[in-house]
Amino acid sequence: MGVHEIEDAKLIFNFGYNGADSHPIVQRRIVRAKQKGATIICADPRVTEAARIADVHLQLKGGTNIALVNAMCNVIYNEGLVDQHFIDTMSVDYDAFVEIIKKYTPEYAETICKVPAELIRKAARMYAKAPSAMILYGMGVCQFGQAVDVVKALGSLALMTGNYGKPASGIGPVRGQNNVQGACDMGALPNNYPGYQNVTNPDVQAKFEKAWGVKLSNKVGVPLTHVPQRVLEEKDPAKKLHAYYIFGEDPAQSDPDVAEIRETLEKLDFVIVQDIFMNKTAEFADVILPSTSWNEHDGVYSCCDRGFQRIRKVVEPPSTVKTDWEIICEISTAMGYKMKYKNTEEIWNELIDLCPNFAGATYEKIEKYGCIQWPCRSKDMNDKGTVFLHNGKFATADGKGKFYTAEWRPPQELENEEYPLSFSTVREVGHYSVRTMTGNCRMLRNLEDEPGWIQMNPADCEKLHIKHGDLVKVMNKRGWCITRCNATERVAKGATYMTYQWWIGCCNELTIGSNLDPVSNTPEYKYCNCRVEKIDDQAAAWDYVNNEYKDLRSRMGIKMIGEEA
Amino acid sequence: MRKFVKGNPDLCIGCRTCMIGCVVEHEGRRIFEIDPDGYDFNPRLHMVKTAKISVPVQCKHCENPACMAACPVNCIKVINDAVVIDTDSCIGCKSCVQACPFGAIDMVSKIGTQQADGSMRVVANKCDLCVGTGNGPACVRVCPTSALTLVDEEKLKEVVCDKRVATANAAKVFADAKEVE
Ligand code: SF4
Repeated sequence: MGVHEIEDAKLIFNFGYNGADSHPIVQRRIVRAKQKGATIICADPRVTEAARIADVHLQLKGGTNIALVNAMCNVIYNEGLVDQHFIDTMSVDYDAFVEIIKKYTPEYAETICKVPAELIRKAARMYAKAPSAMILYGMGVCQFGQAVDVVKALGSLALMTGNYGKPASGIGPVRGQNNVQGACDMGALPNNYPGYQNVTNPDVQAKFEKAWGVKLSNKVGVPLTHVPQRVLEEKDPAKKLHAYYIFGEDPAQSDPDVAEIRETLEKLDFVIVQDIFMNKTAEFADVILPSTSWNEHDGVYSCCDRGFQRIRKVVEPPSTVKTDWEIICEISTAMGYKMKYKNTEEIWNELIDLCPNFAGATYEKIEKYGCIQWPCRSKDMNDKGTVFLHNGKFATADGKGKFYTAEWRPPQELENEEYPLSFSTVREVGHYSVRTMTGNCRMLRNLEDEPGWIQMNPADCEKLHIKHGDLVKVMNKRGWCITRCNATERVAKGATYMTYQWWIGCCNELTIGSNLDPVSNTPEYKYCNCRVEKIDDQAAAWDYVNNEYKDLRSRMGIKMIGEEA
Repeated sequence: MRKFVKGNPDLCIGCRTCMIGCVVEHEGRRIFEIDPDGYDFNPRLHMVKTAKISVPVQCKHCENPACMAACPVNCIKVINDAVVIDTDSCIGCKSCVQACPFGAIDMVSKIGTQQADGSMRVVANKCDLCVGTGNGPACVRVCPTSALTLVDEEKLKEVVCDKRVATANAAKVFADAKEVE
């Protein structure tokens, strides 16, 4: 499905996705759908903007996603709301799936996810009875130790109701980062060449070896989230990581448990950072390669709906920076592999010729149609790509959709006496990702700046004798930070939330790096425990925050205009 | 009738683009060229998020403005049909802030306006409908979801009309109920 289809949806099941803060432009389409009469079901522990306008808000407790999805499937199954013909002809493994969901009656699920059983029934009936229903999910699904299971369970929910292969149906991941789809499409994964071609496949290996004229490895690489362990714990010197080339990423800010990341970066023999501005990781770099920003170079972005779009240079970069591709070419050449391209189109043409699924997505076509959704296999101008991935049959080996769900597993680190609150990272509109791009932007800084906020229920604030706007100390066994208290009815009692971009109010001091989803290797950013402490001397705390921020900025060389360089 | 900007909470997504649009319109493009800490960031509308509502709040440009009546130095005037504070003559007494029933006025300090004792001038701040720019209110233009509308006499009449129809229909229901009795 495509993002534009959201506006025509009859029903949107918005699960763990906060469009208003992550992607306001997608949220705009959800709002339009609502105006055009769409029903909205929102599953989120907070009253997000989507929850606010939803017909049903399933305000579940964090870390219980699969119990809720299983219970909805249970209702649909027990009340005979399934699309039996679709199940019979288009799917496999239904019986095994039913075996698991049988146990998840709404009453049982209520004990886990705290959503009233009747509300679960209501949502399930609404979803099943809609002429077509679209699922949108985000990081509220993916950033848990049990994540891929939930995605598959949501896929099964759509499968049992026949919600595939028609307009405004199916299941859409609204990905966390701009162009993260592009990074995956281009093979920035430990196991793939561009176009999802596996590095362990000998035919694929042979094809790339021939094209590039070099021997290639058939070994799967190290996922990002395994880096600390490969540096700090690996005994075998052949497997230990020694160097780390990081670009467009700020692990010292964005990875969980940043104390461990700092230790990792310190232990590494050699760290290269390639980015547009200084950031926390660059403080550990041996070499910094300054590169151009999004408006200073050409390229192709993939939208979360597999759509390739071109981006174009609008301003001339300063002479002290180079584009990422030029830097890569120069490094490669210096290391003995001569790499030279005239422009991005030449790189793109080489790439699409090596990736059957992208082969038809030429610059010319992207230019003409604005966007090409892969698969697009033919260069013929009439092949405009693929809007629905699963049209008529599923893009699996046997053409059928596979049912799957799993038993609920609680998050790894739960609340306890010492750390009685739950803690989750979230986004806020205005500051993008780790603030490398937005943190120095004056208007956005005016709206929000250090040390950020912790969202808490007013009842919890009252218990701790803290008020909205007070500086507070947030801590657990991994670390602490200072931030401001945001007392809001929009979060449930016992739960707290912080956005992850602040340098001083750095929530990743607390997050947990050890509970990765077994398939995706994504960390459990959305659940750990914490304690919030009142700070009696507010003036001293403000001095601390202001001085830390000033120091950091001056260490990074961020100068005010008019200041001596 | 004076126009005013009204926000629709069913459309607003709480992004605050309107607040930025407001500042850019009033400070001018120079704000992108000067010291990032060297200008005022004083939006004239404010995003309010309660448990169930997200909507920006701003001046209603009342026909009989309580703020204007409360100002002891007559620095609140009607210019081109908008209620406008003349910040040069504002003495910062806060009477208008207290008089306004909507919380549409706040007090802000003006960078680069040192007084005799070195302190900055503090003046009343509120929506002026971008009067004098010729572009109409910036907030309405920049909102990504068209959550803001400039309500004029026509629009208000429409709303009143609709409500009258609703009232008439309710009267019918009421009459039917009477007959049953
Ligand atoms: S710009 Fe529009 S959507 Fe954004 S906060 Fe303002 S009124 Fe709401």
